Amino acid sequence: MNISKFFERFGLCKSDIEKILDFALSKGGEFSELFLEHRICKSIIMEEGIIKESSENIIYGAGVRVFSGDSIGYGYTNDLSMESLKKVALTSASISKNSSGLKIKQLSPLKISKSLYSVSNPFHKEKILNKFEFVKRVYNSAKNYDSRIKNVRIYLEDEIQYVLIANSEGLIVSDERPLVKIICISVAEKNGRRDYGYFGGGGRVGIEYFKDKYTPEKIGEQASQEAILLLDAREPPAGEMPVILAPGHSGVMIHEAVGHLLEADFNRKKTSIFWDKMGQKVASSQVTVYDDPTIPNFRGSLNVDDEGTIPKKTLLIENGILKGLLQDRLSSKIMKMPLTGHGRRQNYKFIPIPRMTNTYVEKGEYSPEEIIKSVKKGFYALKYQGGQVEDSGKFTFSVSLGYLIEDGKLTAPVKQATLIGTNIDILNKIEMVGCDVEFGMQTGTCGKNGQSVPVTDGCPTIKISRMTVGGRK
Amino acid sequence: MKNSKENLITLAEYLVEFGRKKGADEIEVSILQENEFNVHIRMKEIESLVEAHSKKLQIRIIKDKKIAVSTSEDFSQEILENLISTTLERAKISNPDDFIGLPEKQELKVDLDSLNIYDSKILELSPEEKINFAVQIERIALMDKRISNSHGVTFGTKEIERILVNSKGFEGQYSETVFSISIGLQAEKKGEKVDGFWYCAKRHFGELDKPEEIAREAVRRTVRQLGARKVKTQNVPIILEPIITAELLSFLFTCVSGISIYRKSSFLVDKLGEKIANDSINVIDNGLMRGKLGTRPFDNEGMLTRKTYAIKRGILENYLCNSYSARKLNLKSTGNCTGRGVGPNNFYLVPGKKSQEEIIKSVDKGLLVTRTIGHGFNPVTGDISRGAFGLWIEKGEIAYPVSEITISGNLGRILKDISIIGNDIDFRSHYAGPTIKIEEMTVGGI
Repeated sequence: MNISKFFERFGLCKSDIEKILDFALSKGGEFSELFLEHRICKSIIMEEGIIKESSENIIYGAGVRVFSGDSIGYGYTNDLSMESLKKVALTSASISKNSSGLKIKQLSPLKISKSLYSVSNPFHKEKILNKFEFVKRVYNSAKNYDSRIKNVRIYLEDEIQYVLIANSEGLIVSDERPLVKIICISVAEKNGRRDYGYFGGGGRVGIEYFKDKYTPEKIGEQASQEAILLLDAREPPAGEMPVILAPGHSGVMIHEAVGHLLEADFNRKKTSIFWDKMGQKVASSQVTVYDDPTIPNFRGSLNVDDEGTIPKKTLLIENGILKGLLQDRLSSKIMKMPLTGHGRRQNYKFIPIPRMTNTYVEKGEYSPEEIIKSVKKGFYALKYQGGQVEDSGKFTFSVSLGYLIEDGKLTAPVKQATLIGTNIDILNKIEMVGCDVEFGMQTGTCGKNGQSVPVTDGCPTIKISRMTVGGRK
Repeated sequence: MKNSKENLITLAEYLVEFGRKKGADEIEVSILQENEFNVHIRMKEIESLVEAHSKKLQIRIIKDKKIAVSTSEDFSQEILENLISTTLERAKISNPDDFIGLPEKQELKVDLDSLNIYDSKILELSPEEKINFAVQIERIALMDKRISNSHGVTFGTKEIERILVNSKGFEGQYSETVFSISIGLQAEKKGEKVDGFWYCAKRHFGELDKPEEIAREAVRRTVRQLGARKVKTQNVPIILEPIITAELLSFLFTCVSGISIYRKSSFLVDKLGEKIANDSINVIDNGLMRGKLGTRPFDNEGMLTRKTYAIKRGILENYLCNSYSARKLNLKSTGNCTGRGVGPNNFYLVPGKKSQEEIIKSVDKGLLVTRTIGHGFNPVTGDISRGAFGLWIEKGEIAYPVSEITISGNLGRILKDISIIGNDIDFRSHYAGPTIKIEEMTVGGI
C-alpha cells in the first residue's frame, strides 16, 4: 500500500497532517489522532424479475480525536480543507483545559507486510452489467427452485474503504479494505400460509469466492429451500430442555454470551459480569474461545484496526478459564494492558471502541452424530435472526429455524424460537463440544453503542445440558 | 464548514437543472445538513465529547422508467456533476419499471411554525450547560445506595436542515431539532447484577423531563429487577408498559407498510377492509402532530404528510405507502417515504381510559413486561418470540420481578386479544402507545 496515493486521495501532505495533530494537542491533550476515510459503497436490489434499484454512495470525511486523561474530545467533518480540519482539531482539543505544550513525534509510516484481503478479481472494479448478471443468477436459482416461491429479493453490496490513520506518537498507516455481501430472501406460500428463508455470502473477497462453494445458484437455492421447509415447520416447544447448537451460524451464541462481555470497555467500567474473573473458571473445561482478526478474506478481518494497530489473534477463554480481553487504545491505556488491535468504528463520524472481529469456539473432541445421539428430547438450533446481551450476562438469541430432537434424531422442523440464559450459567452447562468448527454466513453485522461493524462468528456442534427455549404452549 | 440554507438550495436547483440537461427524465436532489453535539458522562467525569458538522446529498435519477440512486458527502462541484453523469448512465442500463416515478408536485400548505419542530434554544445552549445537565442526572441517580455502577449518561442535540428539490417543480426545506438524554444504571445484590435504562427525547429543550425525574425513573426501573425469579412455562395475561407497546407498534408498522405488502412479506396481505383487531383498536400515523419527533411537513420525496388511520375500530383501513408502493398496490401515497423505503411519522395506538394501576388490578395471575431483548419477529407470519424482563402479578398486585423468560405469540392474534387500553400514552420515539393488556400469551420459563 503506497501511502503517497492516500495523501493524494485526501488532498493532504504529511506536513498538513502533522499540523492538524499539533493543533489537536495545542490545548494540553496527551494524544491526538486523525482518521481519514473515503469509502465507495455500491448496491443492487433485484426483485420481481427486474433490477429494482442500483446505488452508489460516497462516504468522505475526517475525524480528530484527543485524549485528555480518561476523557476524549472528538470532532468530524466532510470538508477536508486545512481551514476546516484546523477548526475540528481545535474543537476536539478543547476537551483539555491546561496548556502544556506536548509536541507530536515525527510521522513514520507503518508497513503492512502482507494484506489479509488480497483478491485476484476485486469486486469493486467489476463492470455493473456483470454484477447485474450475477444478481440475476441468484434470483433465477431462488425463483425456479419451487413453484411455491412467490417473491425473491436479492441485495448485493460491495464497497472499497480507504483509510489513513495518523497519531501524535508518530504512527501513520493506510489500509484499503474491500467488502462484499450478497443476500437472498425468498418468500414461500402454500394454502395461504407464508414464510421466508434467507441465505447469503461474502467477506473481504473477490469474484473468485463465488465460483466454488458459494455459487450464485447455491445461494438462491439455500434461501428458497429454507422458506419451503418453514412452510411446514411447527411452533417451537417451550420450557427448559437440552439444546444442541448447529455448527457455523450458532457462533452468534458465543458472540453474545462471551464476546461482548470481554470487550475491554465493559471490564474497565466493571459493568461486565466478567470484570473480576480474569484467570478464573467461567465455562466448562471443553470451551476455548478466540477472536481472530487475521483470518484471510474474512468479513471481520483487518490489516490494521481503526486506530492503526496491527491486530492479533486473541485468546479469550482457554479450557474454561478466562484469559483475555479485546482492547482498544483508551481501555488498554487505562487498564495498562497490551493492545490487541480491536479498536473499530463504523466510520469517521464515530469514536473507536473495542469490538469483535471473527469470534469462534475452538473444536472439541466429539463427532456431531454422537452429540445428537446423546439427547432423548430436546431442541436443535440451526439458523438465527440475531442476538442481544446485557452487561449483567443475560442474553438471548432468536432462532428462525430449528429441529426437534427425539430419541437422538432430528425430527420436525421448528420456526421462530428464542433461547435465553445467563452467560456463565450456560457456559458451564456446555456438556459436549464437537470437532466440526464452521463459520456463519459472512453477512453478519454487529451493533454496539449505535455503531455497526462487519463481523463473523463460528463454532462446532455444541450441546448445552439445559436452556430455556421460548416457544408457545 | 456550514453552508447557508440559500447556498444549498441554489446547489440543489443547479444539480436538478444539470441532470435535466444531461438527459434525465426526472431528477430529485435532497440535502441533509446536520450539527451534532454529544457528551457522555460516566462516574461524574466526561468520557467523551463530540461536536461536529456534516452534510450529505442524495440524487435519484429516472430515465425511460429506469432508476438509479447516488449519495455523496463530498460536495465539490466536479464530483457531484460527475456523480450525476454516472448515475444517469447506471439508470440507462437498469431495467424498466412502470411503477417508478417522482410524485406529482404538491403545494406546501402547512405553516412550518405551527408544526413546532425547531427550537432556537439549540443555538444558545452552551456546552457547559449540556454537560451539567448530564452530570446532574447521574449524580442524583448514584445517590441511591442500591445503584452499584453506571453505564453513563449521554446528552445529545441535533440540528438538522433538510432540502428537497425535484424536476417536477417541488422545492421544500425545513429545519428541525432533537434534544435527547439517556442513562444506564446497574444495581447489584449478592453477586447478581441487573441493568436498567431510561431515556427522553424531545423537539424542545424545555420539554425534556427534569433531571430528577429522569434519574428517579432510571433508578426505579433498575432496582425493581433485583431479586428476579424464574417462572414456569405457562399461558397467562400479559400487560405491556408504554415503551413495550411502542415496540409492538414498530412490528405492526412493518406489517402495514406498503412495501411489505407488495412483497407479500406481511401477514396482512389482502386484508384491507377486513376486521383484524378488536373494536377498541385505533392506530394512526400522523405527520402533522404539533412538536412530536415524527412530525414533518413533507416526506422524503416531497409528499405532504397527513393523518392516516391504519386501523380504525379494528378494521384495517390503510396500508402506509410511499409513492412507489402506492402505485404497486393501486393506492395513494400516505406521505410515509423515508430514506428509500417506507417509515413512520408519528405512529401510535389511540389511548383508552384505564390507568396502569387499574389494568394491573384486573389480572389475577400474569406478567407486566418492562423490557425485552432480542430480535424474534417475523412479519411474514406475525410470529413474535422475545426475551423479556418483567414483574409478576398475583391477585392484582405486583408480586416479584422475573427474568430469563421469553414471551411468544402472534401479532394477528394479539391484535384481537388486546382487552384493555390504558390512558398513559407516551411519545418518546416515532412509535407510541399506552399500557395495554393482552388476554393471553405464552411465557417461556423453566
